[in-house]
Formats: sequence, C-alpha cells, structure tokens
Amino acid sequence: MSDQKKNFRLEEFKHREGIDPDKTWTMLEHAIHEIYNQNISGLSYEVLYRNAYNMVLHKFGDKLYSGLVETMTARLKEIARSLEATQGGSFLEEMNKKWNDHNKALKMIREIMMYMDRIYIPHAGKTPVDQLGLNLWRENVIYSNQISTRLLNALLELVYGERTGEVINRGLFRNITKMLMDLGPSVYGQEFETQFLLVSAEFYQAESQKLIECCACGDFLKIAESRMKQEIDRVSYYLDPMTEKKITNVVEKVMIENNLLILIHMDSGLVSMLCNDKYEDLGRMYKLFRRVANGLFKIYEVMTSHIKESGKQLVMDRDRLKDPVEFGVSEDDIEITLDKVMMLFRYLQEKDEFESYYKRHLAKRLLYGKTVSDDVERSFIVKLRTECGYQFTSKLEGMFTDMKTSRDTMQGFYTSHPKLRDGPTLTVQVLTAEVWPTQSIVTCNLPAEMSELCEKFQSYYLGMHMGRKLSWQTDMGTADLKATFGKGQKHQLNVSTYQMCVLMLFNNADRLSYKEIEQATKIPSSNLKSCLQSLALVKKRNVLRKEPMSKDVGEDDAFFVNDKFRSKLYKVKIGTVVAQKESEPEKLETRKRVEEDRKPLIEATIVRIMKSRKLLDHNNLVAEVTKQLQSRFLPNPTAVKKHIESLIEREFLERDARDRKMYRYLY
Amino acid sequence: MKKEDTVKLISAEGFEFVVDKEAAMVSQTIHNMLTSPGSFAERQHGEVTFPEISTTILEKICQYFYWHLQFASGKETEFPIEPELTLELMMAANYLHT
Repeated sequence: MSDQKKNFRLEEFKHREGIDPDKTWTMLEHAIHEIYNQNISGLSYEVLYRNAYNMVLHKFGDKLYSGLVETMTARLKEIARSLEATQGGSFLEEMNKKWNDHNKALKMIREIMMYMDRIYIPHAGKTPVDQLGLNLWRENVIYSNQISTRLLNALLELVYGERTGEVINRGLFRNITKMLMDLGPSVYGQEFETQFLLVSAEFYQAESQKLIECCACGDFLKIAESRMKQEIDRVSYYLDPMTEKKITNVVEKVMIENNLLILIHMDSGLVSMLCNDKYEDLGRMYKLFRRVANGLFKIYEVMTSHIKESGKQLVMDRDRLKDPVEFGVSEDDIEITLDKVMMLFRYLQEKDEFESYYKRHLAKRLLYGKTVSDDVERSFIVKLRTECGYQFTSKLEGMFTDMKTSRDTMQGFYTSHPKLRDGPTLTVQVLTAEVWPTQSIVTCNLPAEMSELCEKFQSYYLGMHMGRKLSWQTDMGTADLKATFGKGQKHQLNVSTYQMCVLMLFNNADRLSYKEIEQATKIPSSNLKSCLQSLALVKKRNVLRKEPMSKDVGEDDAFFVNDKFRSKLYKVKIGTVVAQKESEPEKLETRKRVEEDRKPLIEATIVRIMKSRKLLDHNNLVAEVTKQLQSRFLPNPTAVKKHIESLIEREFLERDARDRKMYRYLY
Repeated sequence: MKKEDTVKLISAEGFEFVVDKEAAMVSQTIHNMLTSPGSFAERQHGEVTFPEISTTILEKICQYFYWHLQFASGKETEFPIEPELTLELMMAANYLHT
C-alpha cells in the first residue's frame, strides 16, 4: 500500500487457481471487437480487467500483447478498406469519424489492459498501448497507399478552395491536422506540410505573375499583405503553429522577394509613391519588404537616389534658387513658413554657417529698414533660440538691442541740439562691433553738411559714453534727398550713402568727370562704379547722364545731371546694383570666417570636457567634442586633433607618460 | 447519501459494502471502472463484484480507503494491519492499484 510494499515480489506465491490462457484470450479478443463495435454495455470492466490481470500475472503477457496487436491490426485494416471505399466528398468526414472511434476504443482497451501497461510493457520493453494504437493507425490506415494520396489531395483541395474564395469546413480540417500531429510531427510534415508548401509556392507564383501584369504596385502590395494575413489566419484556424513561419516564408519569397526589383521600379512603384505622398502604400511596402533579405536595402538605394535627384533638381531650379522659400502674406502664413524653415534648419549640420549668413542678411534688413515686421523677426529668433540655445542667438538679439538703443540715442541727440532740426537730418545707428557682421571699414568723404553733423553727433555720443570708439560705416546706410530737376519737377530720392555723396557734388557742378568724383568722395573704385552705374544707367532711375552713353562705367566718363529725368512717382527709390549672389571668393571668405569662429568654440569645448574628466583618451575626447558641438556644427576630427595639439603646446593638456593616447588636464 | 455518490463493492462471498465513490476511487482500478468513457456494466449499475477478494480483505480495503482520505487531508494516524492478512491484502492492493 505504500510503494515499498507494492514492490514486494510475489513469485513464490502461486495463485489459487491456474488459468486457461486460450480461453481467457478468446474472451478478451471478443471484448475488443465489441469495444470497436461500440457495443459495451454488456461487458464488465472488472471481468475484463481481472482476466487481463491474470494473464499478466500468470506470465501470459506476451500472448496478451501480441493478441492485442493482431486484433487491432485486423480492425484497422478493415477500417482502411472501408475508408478506401468511401465516395468523394465524405472521405475526410469519414476518416475523422473513424479516427475518433478508434481513439475512443483505444482508451477503453488501454484501461482494461491497465495492468499490462503498468507491469508487463515496461518490463518487456514494448510500446505502451496508447502509442501502439497510434502506430497501428499510422501503419495501416494513413500509410495505405490509396488513403495517403487521397488524404493529401483532399486537404490541398480544401486549401485551394479557400484561397479562391470558397467556404470550407475548417473544424474538420483542424481535426485532421490534429490527427496527423498526434501521429507525429513527421507524419504531418510528410503527409501534408511539404506538399502544401510546394503547392502554395506554385499558387502564389501564378498569382504574382498575373498581378504584376495588370496591377499597380500599391494594389499588388495590398493583395500580398492580405494573402499574408490569410495564410497566418489559416495556420491559426486549422494548421499546426509550426507551419506559420514556413508558409509566410513562401509567400514572402514568391510574392515579394522574387519580384522585389520589379515592384520597386514599376511606374507605380516606390518613386511614384514618394512623389504622390502615398503614405499607406509606402508603409505597406516597408512592412512587407523588411521581411525579405535585402528588401529594405533596395528601398534605401532607390530612395537615396530619388532624394538626391530631386534635391539636385531643386538646387538647379532657377526660380527656386532666387527665392527658395515662398513667403505668405498674412502673419499666419509667415508663421507657417517659418516653422517649415525651422524644420529644414534642424537638418542643417553647419548651423554656424547659417548663422553667419542669417546675421548678414538681418543686418541689411535692419540697417536699410527693410524688415517686414519686427515681430516676425523676433519670433524667428525666438524659434532659433529654442532650437539652439541662448548662445546661438545672443548676437542676433544684440543687433535688435543696438537698433533700439540707437533710436533712443538719436532722440537724445536732437533734444540736446534743438537748432539742428532745420538742416539735414542725420540718423545714426550705433552698432556694437562684435555683434554685427564685421565689415572692413572703408571711409569716404562725406559732404560737408553731413560730416559737420557727424562730428557733432560723435562728440555728443562720446560725451555720453566714455572710452568708446566710433567709426563710420559709410558703405551702409541710406539717405533721402530732395532734388529739383531742370523743368522744376521735384522728387524725393531714396539713395545709399555713397550715392548721396556723389549726388551732393552736383549741387555745385553740372558736369563732373569720373576722376573728379573719385577724388572728391574717396569712394573705393569698385563701389563707385556700381554706384554710378545705378545712378546713370538704370532706366527710369537715371537721375544722372553719362557721356559717352556706353553700358559700363569707364574711368574717362563724364557725368551730368539728367534734366530730362521723369517719374510718375514723387518718391524714387534708387537701388544699388549689387551682385545678388555671393561670388566665389566671397563664399570662401565667409567660409573662412566661419572656420575662424569655430576655433575658439572647439578649444573651449575641449578644455571644458578635460576640466571635468581630467583624463581621457583621444577617441573619446573627439567623440565627446563632436557630441557637444553638433547642435552648431560638425567639427572635423582632424581640426579637433589640431586644436588638441595646440592646447598641449600651450600647456593646457599633456599626454600621459605611459599611454600616449591619453590626455591629462593640467590646471 | 445519494445513490449516485456511492458504489457497491461485492466480495467473493457476496457480502456488499456501500462506500462513497470518492473513497472507492482511491483505487486506480475502481477509478477507471467508474470513469471510463464507454459505460461498462459497473458504471451502469453502480456496483462491482470482486470474485477473488474475500469479505475480510474487502472490509479491510474499505477501511483503508477512508483512512487514506483522512491521511491525505492531514490526519496522520496509524493504519493497523493484522499480520495474517498481510499477504492477501498486498495481492488485492496490486490488483486494485492502490
């Protein structure tokens, strides 16, 4: 009753009565048949169990076991025959029914033969009854040639039916799958799965071919996606889970991988999707292509070349080049445009170069009073600040402050010099040198009236602010002149400072040669030429007349006031002829200045990092510097290395004595 | 006690023991008899005849069933076995898979 007692050997003890093995077996054999016939109500479990028990106990286990195998085999052969004889459609149903019956019978047989299962089988090394029942079914039913082919065809037909839109009996299919799996995964594989995968590949091969010929890429992908889902569903409804990976592989390979390039390069393929914002299709393409080897890489390749191509087109487009951003009219539109600009800005690697150009343009806008609205300017600077931090915009903001301070200063100047209100008016913008884009200082001779005013302002300003130095940026600034022409027509001319200097000379002369003008004004010749050009050679703005009437300004030319000047407008704005785009050398100049500005930044960053880390190896230092600076620009590793060396020379850092790759901070 | 919850065990001499199914199913053999999917005669009638088990032994076995339930629920007492019954009792235990 405990385990120990159960294992007690009973061999010496002989049972009260011997048994007749043949008679006992005949009785059991009959019972097995009755069980298969589902006619068991007349059978006593106790009697059957006791007989089987006694047979084992009296060493007739062999006879019992082989009898069972023989009887069951005979029964199954009979079942196979009847299955072979079933007509058409009911084959699978019949098989399923027979299989269920067999299982039920098997369970009962196992129970009455429990003692044999428990004692004889492990001892004699035979197959347990359960497994025996499965094996016999496999050998006699499934492996029967006719049944095997018929089963396979019936199953494949069902799958084909479902793929072409029929409704099939999934429950039945699931049962058959389960049967095959119960018989062993290899049975499922051999009898069904291998062929299933082959047939599926053929099916999808044919389907893709047809679709490629008549469908757009997006539709193809849609179908492929739904096919994929159908197959996954199919597996979950009635196939074994291990088939899922295999069948999706088939669909991926046949529908996607084999057609990868065709799909991408179709007229309705990747590029067309990108151009037409087909986000859903693109998403689908990504999801499907990522499943196959190289899929995403191909997308990547085509996308890269497309982006490069359209980028190039944008850059080459002359209209766009002139005005890359179309500004809207209303405040809201401007806001939206600015947000878009910020989007692009985020992708800039060299933000400091952007800053340098932006500063230059902003300076022009501010100084020439061309800003559309101060609010918009400020709002954009706030955006830049949010993106890049205070440091980045401090100079830009400084420019605004200068403008405001200058207004106040001018007000103060005129309050303290009330007499000056009658003469020409001077508006000075005092700019902090390091905040504004630096310009080489070119002075020119201002007309006497103006230079007098300038001196007054200078002494007023220096009187207010000790220790400052003012220098005049005569190449900037504008002037409004009142001019009276030959027949008495009056105009107000809006001109640049240089132009003003030139025009003022004509107050005292009718004819001036180029040389005379140059001498009187001391304007550098290149500036003077463009200045004269804009005064004399632009139609409807030609307040001067030139002799000879050539298209260029030469050093021997002479200039007159153009008495025939006419304009419908009272106010005439005379532009300056300037090159719209930077010339190559100017570009290099800007580039150099940007590089120059970077130097202290890189060095400061190196020192800051080393100060906190004390000891760091080269690669990590470069990486860290790059990381900290990337919001402004991408420092060149060689440049960083050069600065490290320069810092070592100046004894901020030293190399570690043992490891030359390590740097040590020295203060 | 409801009839469905009990089972009648009949000894070789025809002596009947009515016990709870729960107790009787301590024996794996009886358990199979009463739960097998096909309904054998025993399940239909609610009685099992043991032509090879004597009344004395069957009685002892029934006592054991109940003792086993108690033991399993934590009441650890001795189960007395008279030496003269030992052998037959073991035979029956083997048969009943207890």
